[in-house]
Amino acid sequence: MSIVLGTAQLGLIYGLLAIGIYISFRILNVPDLTAEGSFTFGLACASMLATTGHPWLGILLAVAAGAAAGLVTGFFQTKCQIHPVLAGILTMSGLYSINMFVMGERANVTLIGVDTIFTQISALLPGLDKNWVKLLISLLLTAAGILLAVGFFKTHLGLCIRAAGDNETMVRASSINVGHVKLVALAVSNAYIALCGGIIAQYQSFADINSGVGILVVGLASVIIGEVICGRRGVTAGILSAVAGSIVYRVIIALATTYTMLPAYMLKLISAVIVAVALSVPAVKSAFSLQKTKRGGV
Amino acid sequence: MLKIESAVKTFFKGTPQEHTALRGLSLHLKPGEFVTVVGSNGAGKSTLFNAICGSFYLDAGAVMLDGKDITYQPDFRRAKMIGRVFQDPMMGTAPHLTIEENLALAYSRKHKLPLAPAITAKETDFFREHLAAMGMGLEDRMKTKVGLLSGGQRQVVTLLMCTLSTPKLLLLDEHTAALDPQTSEKIMEITNRIVAENHLTTMMITHNLNAALRTGTRTIMMDSGQIILDIGEEERRGMTLDDLLRMYSQKAGGEFDNDRMLLNKDNP
Ligand SMILES: Nc1ncnc2c1ncn2[C@@H]1O[C@H](COP(=O)(O)OP(=O)(O)OP(=O)(O)O)[C@@H](O)[C@H]1O
Ligand SMILES: [Mg+2]
Repeated sequence: MSIVLGTAQLGLIYGLLAIGIYISFRILNVPDLTAEGSFTFGLACASMLATTGHPWLGILLAVAAGAAAGLVTGFFQTKCQIHPVLAGILTMSGLYSINMFVMGERANVTLIGVDTIFTQISALLPGLDKNWVKLLISLLLTAAGILLAVGFFKTHLGLCIRAAGDNETMVRASSINVGHVKLVALAVSNAYIALCGGIIAQYQSFADINSGVGILVVGLASVIIGEVICGRRGVTAGILSAVAGSIVYRVIIALATTYTMLPAYMLKLISAVIVAVALSVPAVKSAFSLQKTKRGGV
Repeated sequence: MLKIESAVKTFFKGTPQEHTALRGLSLHLKPGEFVTVVGSNGAGKSTLFNAICGSFYLDAGAVMLDGKDITYQPDFRRAKMIGRVFQDPMMGTAPHLTIEENLALAYSRKHKLPLAPAITAKETDFFREHLAAMGMGLEDRMKTKVGLLSGGQRQVVTLLMCTLSTPKLLLLDEHTAALDPQTSEKIMEITNRIVAENHLTTMMITHNLNAALRTGTRTIMMDSGQIILDIGEEERRGMTLDDLLRMYSQKAGGEFDNDRMLLNKDNP
């Protein structure tokens, strides 16, 4: 039972990461490596503020920190004309030092015995089992994240972001500053990723400087699994399916670690394989249909 | 209205591929003037439009629009005043957005707050009405992704996107080239109507010399980055295709035979 609850909790919280990755990878159409740094940035901010007794403030700060990280990457991309992938790598790399600084020059921080948003709400609901409260909180936070994202992409600015990822020339010809639009999109995307990091830190009462390693692939895997299940449709469907994909991803991981002898360190390899296989589906499909046509033609 | 002073643009300056696409070109347009632009492939017609829109900055010379020097104004600022249909149907629209969303984005030139709804019900009605006026049945497909439309249909959507919020200057780059003859005729009618209704200052590039002479109020001919003929309203009246070709051959000399084909004399 507790493993099911745990999987659902993680799936929901990492759903926020999936939304962030969906925004950069699918809507803006660039894989943004800032994610690895901004996730840890959020985690570091939220855990350090929790240790000073302000867990909620920590979550808010995580959001702001992620947005700031996204703005830096956006600045590199738009003003400095650095290749989007390289821009993300630069921010991610620089953030390592900053995260170390935020965490008080320690590689990890434990929040055992410290108030977190989870312990605080559990204390308000004494009758309920802790695990169910955690699920409730994860559900509420992720639902709020989904609603905000869906609403945002129905606004004019949201439409500009979608168009900027589709045809920049057209956006410019419509008298919209594409640079600004990209800045906003990267800020929003990384705000979601850092928010996820912040909640995860308080959820597991533990923060590690290396938590962000491979997180981009985790997010991509969620987005892609979601698309395999729900298909690629509009933005609203895309956001929902990214969260669904995150939950399915956690189920796969849970099954893999419970029913096989796989050690936990193999998870990153599994994630990478999932993403690589899923991304090569279109190429494999077209190769197959070409073979079919060739044979049919002779 | 539009004033271009000795515009010079050289691509790949200082490399073996160096190519001067605009050679000190000057052009003045009066408000409400409708100029058709002809010239062979590579004459620099699209480059002239790019210079006006700010796709690049000029190496020398100046661009003034409505009394304002816009030579160094970034492209998206100028786009507030300039509507443009690109030669390439793929350029003017976002393929993964619906017709309605494309129109809404273009219409936002009229000023829209960032967090305002992307499309209001009122706007939807407004767009439907204008699409219906195009007479291509697109008003029933407003939720269709533009990428699923034909090249010609996309150009029609782009034309509407450019004119929904009345621009100061309308630039049409072979906007009917991707259309079948009937549709092309229809779109020219619509273009003429929109231009007349809004008194738009317009430049239209075309390879159809007949259309060039019949449409608008003035015709210019470009060759290797310069304007070699500038035919005003009086002179154009009663002018035939052969007159125009003769004038061109006198100006351009020996290149005439090569260019005759490119100028598409046989088009109706
Ligand atoms: N961005 C660019 N970079 C390099 N060269 C360019 C660029 N744009 C145009 N040119 C060159 O400038 C010249 C003029 O091109 P342009 O597109 O203006 O021709 P055009 O008159 O529009 O021709 P067409 O009738 O075929 O559309 C061509 O030789 C082209 O190779
Ligand atoms: Mg051209």
